[in-house]
Amino acid sequence: MSASLTAGRLVRVLATLALALIAALALGVAVGPAGLALADVWDALVGGAEPVVRDIVLRVRLPRVLLAAGVGASLATAGAAFQALLRNPLADPFILGVSGGAALGAIFVIALGASVGLGASAAPPAAFVGAIVAVLLLLAAAGPRGRLDATRLLLIGVVFNALASALIVFLASLAGLAEGSRIFLYLIGNLSDARPALAGWVGAFLALGLAGLLPLARALNALALGDDSAALLGFEPARVKLALLLTTSLLVGAAVAVAGLVGFVGLIVPHALRLLIGADHRLLLPASALGGACFLVLCDALARTALGGPELPVGAITALVGGPLFLVLLRRRDWALR
Amino acid sequence: MLALAALASAGEAPRRVVSLNPSLTAMALALGAREQLVGIDDFSARQEPSTAGLPRVGGLYDPSLEAVIALRPDLVMLVPSAEQRGFQDQLAALGIPRFVANPVSYDEVLGTLAAVGVRLGREREAEARVASLRAARARAEAASAGRERVRTLLVLQRDPLFVAGRGTFVDDMLRAAGAENLAAGLAGAWPRASREWLLAARPDLIIDSTDEPEPAPEFWARWPSLRARIVSLPAGAVTLPGPMLDRALTLLEAAVRGEPAPERGPQ
Amino acid sequence: MNAQPQALALDDVRIAPAGRVVLTGASLSLAFGEVLVLAGRNGAGKTTLLRIATGLLAPDVGQVLLEGRPLAAHARREVARSLALVAQDSSVPFPFTVEEIVLLGRAPHLRGFGFESREDRRIAGACMERLGIGALAQRSILELSGGERQLAMIARALAQTPRILLLDEPVAHLDLAHRLALEELLRALAHEGKAVLLVSHDLAGAARVADRIALLAGGRIVACGAAREVLHADLMREVFGVDALLVETSEGPVVVPRRAG
Repeated sequence: MSASLTAGRLVRVLATLALALIAALALGVAVGPAGLALADVWDALVGGAEPVVRDIVLRVRLPRVLLAAGVGASLATAGAAFQALLRNPLADPFILGVSGGAALGAIFVIALGASVGLGASAAPPAAFVGAIVAVLLLLAAAGPRGRLDATRLLLIGVVFNALASALIVFLASLAGLAEGSRIFLYLIGNLSDARPALAGWVGAFLALGLAGLLPLARALNALALGDDSAALLGFEPARVKLALLLTTSLLVGAAVAVAGLVGFVGLIVPHALRLLIGADHRLLLPASALGGACFLVLCDALARTALGGPELPVGAITALVGGPLFLVLLRRRDWALR
Repeated sequence: MLALAALASAGEAPRRVVSLNPSLTAMALALGAREQLVGIDDFSARQEPSTAGLPRVGGLYDPSLEAVIALRPDLVMLVPSAEQRGFQDQLAALGIPRFVANPVSYDEVLGTLAAVGVRLGREREAEARVASLRAARARAEAASAGRERVRTLLVLQRDPLFVAGRGTFVDDMLRAAGAENLAAGLAGAWPRASREWLLAARPDLIIDSTDEPEPAPEFWARWPSLRARIVSLPAGAVTLPGPMLDRALTLLEAAVRGEPAPERGPQ
Repeated sequence: MNAQPQALALDDVRIAPAGRVVLTGASLSLAFGEVLVLAGRNGAGKTTLLRIATGLLAPDVGQVLLEGRPLAAHARREVARSLALVAQDSSVPFPFTVEEIVLLGRAPHLRGFGFESREDRRIAGACMERLGIGALAQRSILELSGGERQLAMIARALAQTPRILLLDEPVAHLDLAHRLALEELLRALAHEGKAVLLVSHDLAGAARVADRIALLAGGRIVACGAAREVLHADLMREVFGVDALLVETSEGPVVVPRRAG
C-alpha cells in the first residue's frame, strides 16, 4: 500500500502511466497484419514513406490506436466512477443499463437502418441517443428527487439490460445475414470502424467526462464512507451522485457508440489500479483513464495481429485477457483480507 | 463436397416444395418449377419478385417449423448452415423429405443445379442450364487466356471487411474472368480481413458488392494510396450461388476488363 | 453546566415517518465541555435523534439549533466544520489506507480537487496517535479488525477538528482496554471544551463517562441528569423493562441488572 496522496505522487504515478501509454501507442502503430518495417512506419509518421505505407500507418493504424485509447480510457474511468457511485468494487460500467440503451440504438440502425436509408455510419449517433434515453429512463425510474440509492439503481439496471437484450434479440431476428454478423461483432465489442472523426468524438467526450469527474474526486472518496458520512463531511451526496451518473453515462454512451460492448476494461482496470496505487479517486480516476487506454490499445494490437490477415473483435481479447486476470486479482484480494 | 441427404423418392416429382434458401429458390424458378413451390423463406421472397404471393415461413436463421409443416410439403430444400442444421434434424424426425445442398465452388453449384433438376423432375431443363453455365466459364477462360492477371478483391461487406476467398464459385469466376483473387491466400471461403491487409495487398481492382448507402468510390477514396479501380456491383448480383452464374460471370469479366457492364451502365 | 454556551439543542422535535411516531416532543440540549450519554432500548429512536441532530433528517415539527442558530440555516460544509459524527456502520468498500480515511476528516477544510496541506497531515497524524493507531497509518482499512476500523473512524471525526462530536455506539467493536481508553479520550475532549454526545447501550460505561445521561423512551426524553439521578430502579424498569440496581463503587456508580423472575 502506498503513502497518501501528494501533488508529487500524483504527478509521478500519472507520468509513469503516461509513459506506459506512449509505449503502448507506439507498439500499436508499429504492429499490424501488413508487417511493415519499423523504419517505414517511422518514415510514414514523419511524413515520408510511400503512399500505401502512409495510408496504413496514418489512416488505418493511427486512428484505430487512438480510438482504442479513447474507448479504453472512457470505459475504465466510467468503471471507476460507477464503482464509487454504487460503493461496489465489482461494479461494471455496463451494469446500469446505459450500455443496453446504447447497444439498442446502434443495433436498431444496423438491423433496420438500410430500410430507411441509414448506413452503418449512423450507428454511433444512434447508440449515443440510446444511452441518453436510457439514463433519463433510469432517473425517472429511480424516483422523483430520489437519493439514487445504490441497490435501487442496480435493480433498475438489471431490468433495463434484460429489456435491451430482449429487444436486441428481436431486432437481430429481423436482420439479414450480413447485419447479423455486424450485430454479433457489436455485442462482443469491436474497433474495426475506426474513422478519425470517431476517435475525435470519443476524445472530446473523454475530456468532458474527466472535466466533470475530477472535481468530484474528493466527494467520491467521502461517498465510500456512505451517504450520511459524506454529507457530514460537507458534501452533497444526492447532487454528487446525479452529476456522477450523468457524466459517466456520457463516457459510456460515447464509448459503446463507437466500439460496442467491449467488456472487462471498465471492471478490471480500476480494480487492478486500486491494488497498485490505492483507492484515492483523485489519483484513481486519471490513472484509470491512462491505464484503460493502455490496456485496450494493447488488447487491440493483439486482436489485429493474432490471426494474421483477419482480425478478432477486440472484445474477445479483453474477455480472454481480462477474465483470468480478474480471477487472479480477486484471489490476491482474498489473500490481502486474510 | 455436395451433400445430398434424401435420395429421390421413386415415382412422381414433388408437388409441394418449400425452399428455405434464396439460391435454391432461384434454381427451382430457373428450372420452371414455380408451380411446385408452396413456401419460401423471407430472403428468397426479397430476392425473387416472381415468388410474390407464396407463403413465407420465416427468416434465414429462424424458419418456423410449424409454418413449414402447415404447408404439408413433400420436399423441403435447405442449406445446412449453422442456423438450419438443427432445423434439418427436426424435419428428419417428422419424416418430411429433404433436399440438402451446400455448394461452394463453381462445379458444386453446377452439381447442385443438376441435383435440383433430378429431384424436381426437371432433368432436361437442368442439363441445359448446367451446359450453358459450363460453356460460359470455358468461353471466359478462353477470352482471358494469355492476358495479364488483374490483382482483384471482391468485397462482400465493408465493415467488418469480408471478401470472397479461395475455392468459392466467386473465386472460380474471378479466375475465369482474368483476375487474380488476392484473398485466395487467406484462410476460409469468405474470410474476414482487415483494412490494413487490404491496403498492403495493393489491389488493382476492388469489386464492391455491398449494399451500403455510401457510394463505393466515395468510401474507398478515404485511403488515397489505393490505386485500385472501384467497380460497384449490386449486392447479390455475383455472390449468390444461383442458376444464373453465367450472367454474374459476364459482369465480372466486364469489371476485370474495365468495360462498362453489359445491360447496365458502369457504376 | 448552564453557564456553558449551548452546542446543540433539539427543541420539541417530532418525527413520524410513514405515520409511525418515532420521536414526539423530544427536547435535548448539549453544552460545550460536557459528555452527554443518550441511552434507551433498541428501536427507541436514538439513531433517528442523532440523524435529526446532524441535519441528515428534517423533523416534522420542532427545530434543531447548532451553536445557537437553526441547523437548517447552516451550509453542509459549515456544519461539517462544527460537528462530526462517528456512525455505527464503519464499512468501506475500497482499500483506502487508514491515513487516507483519517485525512477525509479534513474535507470540510479543503476546496475543489484539494491536496491536503502539511498542516492537514500533521492534524491527521496527531489524531491517529491519539487513538493509538499511528502504526496502522499505511495499512488498508479492509485489512483491519472491526475495532481498529472503529478507532480509525473516530480519528477521522477528530481530524475534522469539530467543536461537537457525536458518536453512535462507538464501543460496539472495542475490547475492554480500548473502551476505557476511549472513555478517557471523551472525558479529555470535554475537558478541552468540546461537546460530546454519545449514544450507548452500555450503562456501566455511561455512568463512568457521562456528565449527564439522557434516557429516551416512548419517543421523548424521559429523564436527563447525573447518573445518580437517572439510573435508579424505577426509571430502569420504565426505560429498559428490567429490574436493576445502582451500586456505588469507588470507581463511581455501576448498574447491576437483576435476573428476571
